[in-house]
Amino acid sequence: MSAQQAEDADPVASSTADSSADQPLLDVRGLRTEFRTETEPVVASNRVSFSLERGDTMGLVGESGAGKSVTARSIMRLIDPPGEITDGQVVFDGEDLLQKSEKEMRDIRGNRIAMIPQDPMSSLNPVMTVGEQIIETIRRHQSVSKSEARRLAIESMDDVGIPDAEERIDDYPHEFSGGMRQRVLVAIGFSCEPDLIIADEPTTALDVTTQAKILDLLNEMQERENTAVLMITHNLGVVAQTCDHVGVMYAGNLVETAELDHLFERPRHPYTRSLIDSIPEVETEYDELPTLDGAMPDLSDLPSGCNFAPRCPHATEACRSGGDPALEGVGDGSSRAACIHADDLDLSESTAAKSGGGRREIDRSGEPLFEVRNLKKYFSAGEGLLGNVRLSREGGGLPTIERRYVKAVDDVSFDIYPGETVGLVGESGCGKSTVARTVLRLLEPTGGEVYFEGEPIHDLGSGAIRSLRREMQIIFQDPHSSLNPRKPVGRIIGRAMERHDIATGEEKRQRVRELLERVGLSGDAANKYPHEFSGGQQQRVAIAHALAVEPKLIVCDEPVSALDVSVQAQILNLLNEIQEESNISYLFISHNIGVVRHICDRVAVMYLGKIAEFGRIGDIFSAPFHPYTESLLSAVPHADPKRKTDRILLEGSVPSPIDPPSGCPFQTRCPKKIGDVCEQEVPELEAVGDDDHRISCHLSVAEMSERDSFIAPREKREVAGSD
Amino acid sequence: MYNYVLRRVGFMAVTLFLVTLIAFAVTNILPGNVALVILGPNATEESLAALQAQLGLNRPLYVQYFDWVLGLLQGEMGQSLRFGEPVSALIAERLPRSLLLAVSATLIAVALSIPLGVYAAVNQNEAPDVAASMFAFIGISMPIFLWGLVFILVFAVWFNIFPTGGYTSPTESLLGSLKRLVLPAGAMGFALTAYIMRMTRSSMLEVLSAEYIKLARAKGMSQRVVVLRHALKNAVIPVITVIAFQFSYAFGGVVVLEEVFFWPGIGRLTLTAIQSRDIPLIQGCIIVVALIYMISNFAADLLYAYFDPRIRYGGDE
Repeated sequence: MSAQQAEDADPVASSTADSSADQPLLDVRGLRTEFRTETEPVVASNRVSFSLERGDTMGLVGESGAGKSVTARSIMRLIDPPGEITDGQVVFDGEDLLQKSEKEMRDIRGNRIAMIPQDPMSSLNPVMTVGEQIIETIRRHQSVSKSEARRLAIESMDDVGIPDAEERIDDYPHEFSGGMRQRVLVAIGFSCEPDLIIADEPTTALDVTTQAKILDLLNEMQERENTAVLMITHNLGVVAQTCDHVGVMYAGNLVETAELDHLFERPRHPYTRSLIDSIPEVETEYDELPTLDGAMPDLSDLPSGCNFAPRCPHATEACRSGGDPALEGVGDGSSRAACIHADDLDLSESTAAKSGGGRREIDRSGEPLFEVRNLKKYFSAGEGLLGNVRLSREGGGLPTIERRYVKAVDDVSFDIYPGETVGLVGESGCGKSTVARTVLRLLEPTGGEVYFEGEPIHDLGSGAIRSLRREMQIIFQDPHSSLNPRKPVGRIIGRAMERHDIATGEEKRQRVRELLERVGLSGDAANKYPHEFSGGQQQRVAIAHALAVEPKLIVCDEPVSALDVSVQAQILNLLNEIQEESNISYLFISHNIGVVRHICDRVAVMYLGKIAEFGRIGDIFSAPFHPYTESLLSAVPHADPKRKTDRILLEGSVPSPIDPPSGCPFQTRCPKKIGDVCEQEVPELEAVGDDDHRISCHLSVAEMSERDSFIAPREKREVAGSD
Repeated sequence: MYNYVLRRVGFMAVTLFLVTLIAFAVTNILPGNVALVILGPNATEESLAALQAQLGLNRPLYVQYFDWVLGLLQGEMGQSLRFGEPVSALIAERLPRSLLLAVSATLIAVALSIPLGVYAAVNQNEAPDVAASMFAFIGISMPIFLWGLVFILVFAVWFNIFPTGGYTSPTESLLGSLKRLVLPAGAMGFALTAYIMRMTRSSMLEVLSAEYIKLARAKGMSQRVVVLRHALKNAVIPVITVIAFQFSYAFGGVVVLEEVFFWPGIGRLTLTAIQSRDIPLIQGCIIVVALIYMISNFAADLLYAYFDPRIRYGGDE
């Protein structure tokens, strides 16, 4: 990024700006976007200044509500009322976009500046074919015939790696998987060969293996077309893997801009340091996951000094009173930071506390608390009474009636000991959530056995199940929809105690207060309604609710997936603390293998309803690997630009569980497939080495051990002396 | 899809069977003796008994029912007591007129309400939206016949542009037929507009805040394309059901409106039949109206699948 003066120093009249080669492609100066409210306007993006060169990638990071998306949408002038751009310039290729008419802007949008939106599921029009949606973009900006536009659309679908583009062009969005839809969105974005792509959290809604593929695709497209990319993300891992420059946003302001390596090696703003430290490293053992304490201030009620001062460990009196500092060059000038102490502070060392000792040993000598044996859950395919029946006439002759099933969970076994956390990981659709619901008998199992303290849950009547529910609780992904919105949280929690005869009256109220305090809320929170809490706080309430009945096991179904990264660590720490205190067990379900690393003792990696690999956390992260585990682990983006892991990208997408592949379920995508044996024989989950590390694969242990480990301590890396 | 249609047709057959049961039961429980209605209050016991025997009314009820249903299956609905003609012929003559009225009214309503609803949604909370909402509120609050009377008063009495009522067959005089159609169809269409408009508006508002609308704007599409191509096609899907429902409602509304406009359709036929205890005719009318109702809802579900590619009835083909 070019060194730049303090933003409001010289407003360049856009009309006289010549679009010469030495000018950056995009130069945002003092951009300010406000939202009118009933009282006074809220400034969602304030004094934002940065520039982006042709072909470069800049990341815009920050917690949710930091103003990243508003900034991006302001650049395209796509702010809906009551929002309004009130100040600044957006100089794109020498011209100020804020001076252009709406009609001129429409010629630029999709053509010279294109957007790749966040959610592939809702960003495509469901009643138009994907072809129509690509073609209309091309025809809007290029004078080509219909058939020519169609040819170009097929070409662009080919370019983004959609197989059989020619046949699939007339399909509707719902006929594509999430990853394929994201590819369609990338194709739309690149269809008119724009100079600038604004990618707004383009991979946040995707599984980790799909995310890796989309990021690679973006990089590849960008290099081919020499497109500049503004990458908006909350994930520093994504930034580290894709960006050249980074802008860090906080409470509507850009608080630091830097080159990627500089940002990670020597952040200049304390917020950047905290943001980096809040991401747990895979190879580090933590007593407690690093967290980013506190919350971003309410935009309508900003502190009088630096916006970050209330959360800043280095804040002084000057910070709290001197107004919000402007973004200014630091050191040799390649970094800019909005911090009055930027020149004095040395933030190059991580402040996150690492663990001294290892993790707590689980005593597995006795009886397991919870045991699942050969669990099966089949859903009938199709709807209605006879919807799953299909006449088949294989091999000629009379038609035979065939019932078809989706084998959501197929022969899954594991156990959980007291005080232990067992994880179930896998991509969406692998059956992990179905396991959670089936073991609790929220769904009826099709087959198999489930024991809780020796009680056969699969055999119990509904009354006995209900009393066992006291011992086994569940926490869901979305706390907002699992808490009754019409009751104060104190009553929600109290009701659970009454139902299971734990406490009533004054004793109950006392315990509710204790519980709320235990999960890090104030006791007075009992009188508040769920909507008065933030997402992280709601999840704390949900945890308090689960703890109210003193369970021995809590099933956590993606408990942190819907939360901001900084909040995730807080919730995980809370779960760990509670476990240490009360020796509770968790069954922890997650699609994020990085999260599992720091909370689970043992992990089952699931694929297509079966367990591919099972073992202690150290076994899962080191050789030998199931090829699926290996690719899953390799796809996790590390928040460290020095580490470009050789990612193993999987071909295609997860096969349909109605028609699972023959033999090993993973054989259709396996990069290490041997041959016929994989297609014909279903591999057993067999022990490899000691302490019950089991892998379901035909490969030999040696073949599965080509890579050493994902968590081996990293050798001390050379610090680049450029700073 | 094929399976779905079969299932729906089967379902309709069952419904229709239940309708015949109810229609038969109700008309037979009604007080009033058909023979007495025909022969007048001065008829002798003997002549009443003779007429009842002739009409088959002295047989057990279940025999009468099966006889009637068997006839229905062959398209036979019996003889009208009042008119002395086959019920099927009477209905065949009147039904197209009522359909003409109801279809025209629905078309008028759709032509008015969808553009209005879209316009209101695009200008949310501004003057046009408020005006349209008020109009809708008045439209919903007033019963159909009142609209009929207002229309007669304004267009026939004050301005004398259209006749106050009556019916002319289109084969006889196309222009004359149209002239007489305008007021009743307009009045009914007006009454239906309000509801469809409100549905269109709220559906459009929901769609306009969707992510794919934001993307369409980010692709440089004009407001016109965004609204008409991207939003309307999605917004209209839930409105289809409402339109089908309103059409059925219109068909119920014709009973009153035909009376107001002297429109000799199935509505007035039903009224006459009830007044004269013409049991076969009442039954016939009930069956036909129920059938129309079912068919319009079935059509709505098929249209639904046509407009929404995500719905393909019966799972995979």
